[in-house]
Amino acid sequence: MKLNLKQLSSEERTARLKAALDAGDRLGLITSIDGDQLIMLLLSPGKRSIDCYETPVAGGTYKSATAMVPQAHWFERTTWDMFGLVPEGHPRLKRTHLHEPYTLTSPPLSHERRKAIEKTIQPESGDRRHAGDRSYHFLGVEGQGVYEIPVGPIHAGIIEPGHFRFSCYGEIILNLEIRLGYVHRGIEKRLSEVPWQRGRFVAEAAASDMPVANSLAHATAVEYLLQIEVPRLALYLRSIALEIERIAMHLSDLGGLAGDIGFLAIASSMGRLRGVALRMGELLSGNRLMRGFICPGGVVSASMRVAEEIAQLARQLKQELKPVVAFYMDNQVAVDRMEGVGVVRSSLAREFGLVGVAARASGDRYDCRNYWNHGAYPNVDLEPANETSGDVFARAKVRISEIETSLKLLINFLDDLKEGSFLVSLPDRLEANSSSVAIVESHRGELIHFIHTDARGEIQRYCIKDASVNNWTALAIAVRNNVVADFPLCNKSFSLSYSGHDL
Amino acid sequence: MLRLLKYLINRGIVTNKAVPELLDDNITGFPKATDVPCVSECQACTESCPTGAIEITREKSIAIDRGACITCKECIRVCPSGTLINDTSVASFAFTREDLFRPAPAKAETGPDRSIFSKSLAVRVVSTGCSACDLELAAASNPIFDMERFGIHVVASPRFADALVVTGPVPKSMHEPLLSCYEAMSDPKLVIALGTCAISGGVHKNGYTEANGVGPLLPVDIFIPGCPPHPWQIIKGILAARRLNGRIRKEDQG
Ligand code: SF4
Ligand code: SF4
Repeated sequence: MKLNLKQLSSEERTARLKAALDAGDRLGLITSIDGDQLIMLLLSPGKRSIDCYETPVAGGTYKSATAMVPQAHWFERTTWDMFGLVPEGHPRLKRTHLHEPYTLTSPPLSHERRKAIEKTIQPESGDRRHAGDRSYHFLGVEGQGVYEIPVGPIHAGIIEPGHFRFSCYGEIILNLEIRLGYVHRGIEKRLSEVPWQRGRFVAEAAASDMPVANSLAHATAVEYLLQIEVPRLALYLRSIALEIERIAMHLSDLGGLAGDIGFLAIASSMGRLRGVALRMGELLSGNRLMRGFICPGGVVSASMRVAEEIAQLARQLKQELKPVVAFYMDNQVAVDRMEGVGVVRSSLAREFGLVGVAARASGDRYDCRNYWNHGAYPNVDLEPANETSGDVFARAKVRISEIETSLKLLINFLDDLKEGSFLVSLPDRLEANSSSVAIVESHRGELIHFIHTDARGEIQRYCIKDASVNNWTALAIAVRNNVVADFPLCNKSFSLSYSGHDL
Repeated sequence: MLRLLKYLINRGIVTNKAVPELLDDNITGFPKATDVPCVSECQACTESCPTGAIEITREKSIAIDRGACITCKECIRVCPSGTLINDTSVASFAFTREDLFRPAPAKAETGPDRSIFSKSLAVRVVSTGCSACDLELAAASNPIFDMERFGIHVVASPRFADALVVTGPVPKSMHEPLLSCYEAMSDPKLVIALGTCAISGGVHKNGYTEANGVGPLLPVDIFIPGCPPHPWQIIKGILAARRLNGRIRKEDQG
């Protein structure tokens, strides 16, 4: 939706945030536009309203909210890294994106004036907040018999890069610190450099196991700034694509989980079923992952002919899924491996603002499809998945139930398709000096795209907040007191994105 | 357990027997210029391309760089004369960067296949991109495409790898890890750049993260373009390693 930036003084900021969360609202994101201010999005799903607060930041520092509101911690670290804004009093201020090899002397997203100020700051001895100091120190756990296992950034299989530092006592994980940022490609900056009409190709590459979610969020946010209405057929096709993507990825994650347990018959069966889902995507868009399908104004192509074929495949998938799920969930050995492992309590889920599958496995029913405008939502009746035990098993069950819901939705959408136009022509310019936001329920959870335009109607700031940003910390906490060998299982059950976080 | 076995056996073999030469018609491949003359002075395709992959040369011929193309189909969509068409060739890989400017052969030549890699190739994957290339590479080993039957298997350490497969544009933080992975591999070794990002940086090139692909860091033996490439294109490309007779690099011989 279009946003009105409301002014909020730095004294009131933390209190307002705390009060909103206590009232059941959610923290969408904290970032900056060009390094002169903090932007804070507070979401009220119940009221379907979003408040966007702007707080001027003088002198490049502000008071950290992390001690009061733990879920602010990662946003504040990233804002420091990308804009040079220092959160005073942050308990563990470390870089998130720009590692030691970077020789940048100023933060990449701040405007030229701020960059100049930044350059004049001398690195005082011991003041690690200077832009040039990129050293990183892992939290050390000390004591007799405590040892560290460093893993990554390159992992054993076909996996994205990231570094895990385990501090263990025997087989037990005492602490896990996750260092990300290895695939930081500069997506947000690039999105403010290319003409907005081409932004979708960059947005899609943010995390391409979810190109539909990212292109949908991009298109929706851009459409608010163009003030256009998208035809009904396009909205439906977008939702169809999003559900296909969810089905394919949930199947792939369930398969991966089975693989980590060593239940290879299920892993390969899930792989085969995912093939059916990809086939649907291919029919819809000509591309297995549906890249390039959604564009501002609608979708690039539409054929009523394939709708019946896709519906056929969806019904086939529904049938074929049943026995595989039964073999999986009735297998006592498999269940034993998943139950009670990697538990996230519901209080923690709330405190860290978890989203997506991880939240719904810990008793939170937040599902963006019920609240925020994207595709054909929120005008569908959707019962969100809900489990409460917060363990690997709960997350697996949430995925299974969501595949079933998605198949149902998919078939309904396909039945309900009506011929019509699927693309409208676009104005040349985005509205100047405006902000908009789009929130999409990707298969990982809440995905936010935020755009701010300058006086010429060019994109000045493009911010993406992947669901993984909220959830990585939960993984680090969930594995505490579990055995090292269960880490792959926990990791897979969260199925977070490295590229989506790193951008 | 027996019920599960019975279920699996009843599913039969799902693997596609042969690697096809062409993908299905409806799948988006690379754009290809046909002999149909362009509308005079038309620049629609070059203007529409998000990565500058398509160019009309001074001699009025159309040069398409598959190594920069993200297969978005924009150029085909805007082409008023129908000069550009969708090319679904599976053999879209190339051995040199320059070869990516030539159209993919409709039928891949079958080489002598007698290199030391002809029966088995152990690949180590370093992922540095958006993970779609990784997904398709993983799909290439699933029961449907099953590249392991050709002797290609993904290994968990550079120590026993013959080929290094790189996906993604290799941003700055991954430069050093990638180089040390390459160092750790024994001779003879190959480098395969998988995906448009790995070949040219794709949509990320020339940014402050120096994500310009593998080229500036390591010598590349096989280029497999696409964003992401189709699993068949990946398998075809990796199989081409069978024609490379175990290059040993001079600088590595010391
Ligand atoms: S299909 Fe390739 S060449 Fe054509 S516009 Fe897209 S990126 Fe450029
Ligand atoms: S080539 Fe495309 S699919 Fe592959 S890593 Fe790059 S953006 Fe992702």
